[in-house]
Amino acid sequence: MSTVFSEEQRDCLQELINVAMGLASDKLARFLNTFVHLQVPAIELVNSAQIPAQFEARYSNTEAALVSQGFLGNDGLRGEAIVLYQLDNAHRIAALLGYDTDSASELEMLTDISSILTTTFLNGLADQIDNSLSYSAPRVLSSRQNNVSEALQETAFHWELALKVDISYQLVDHSFNCDMLLLIPGEAVLNIQKILERILEEY
Amino acid sequence: MALPVLICDDSLLARKQVRKSLPESFDADILTAGNGVEALAILRSQEIGLVFLDLTMPELDGIGVLEAIKQDGLDCFVIVISADIQPEMQKRVTELGALAFVHKPVNPEKLVVILKQYGLI
Repeated sequence: MSTVFSEEQRDCLQELINVAMGLASDKLARFLNTFVHLQVPAIELVNSAQIPAQFEARYSNTEAALVSQGFLGNDGLRGEAIVLYQLDNAHRIAALLGYDTDSASELEMLTDISSILTTTFLNGLADQIDNSLSYSAPRVLSSRQNNVSEALQETAFHWELALKVDISYQLVDHSFNCDMLLLIPGEAVLNIQKILERILEEY
Repeated sequence: MALPVLICDDSLLARKQVRKSLPESFDADILTAGNGVEALAILRSQEIGLVFLDLTMPELDGIGVLEAIKQDGLDCFVIVISADIQPEMQKRVTELGALAFVHKPVNPEKLVVILKQYGLI
């Protein structure tokens, strides 16, 4: 990412994301009725073709799920937000939230959580850059039975770039890890740089 | 006389946002710190009247700074400016002695209300 963004641009993008993530954590904490330890999410811009390999190790030996939600805003802002989950604790959290413990309910919970995370996060980001977004309904692209890498590969194939936002949520009683990926078209980098420069000029 | 003020945040953008949010009528000498360790070094070496403090920072976070201020009995007002807006976090910083808890991105009007409330402007 250092080659794409200047240090000031990177700092600016990180701060916008921190604020958006704070909003998403607050929403998630209210939904899960617990306190969420918020860490500064690590961000990185990569070619989307690199994505499946980068996540192979983390998700290959564990049951995982992948939920996708498309977004569309003004000025050509568009993309697909992917949330990846390790499912180790999913059934416990589902039980805590009062979902049934069958696999259909587990997916319903992950879709709900993804929707909260994605829309709150992206709305928070859009607000800060004077944009507004609309969303498609969240879709489960892969669940326990499927191969996450394959699903990720198929999805990533449609986009050129991915903004990786590593989120690790530590809830008070249990750990809950997920990764968020924003898949965006190649020309988006210029747009993002323009937006960041506009914000930097304000201050 | 100008009030010595410290703005502590790891983000340059956030430090600039706070600085720009301060009203012109606020007579302040502004210092900045990029993390909690830097902030404490400044707080322990000179008189600071008011600290604008971020919570999520590397090296030492805002909670750590508040604890040290309390433990060392440092005499300064602290306004927390945070992206972590969970009510429990707000409760925690208030218990540790922070005057106010402001959500990021900082809203200049709200900041003015707080500064007036505590007679800082």
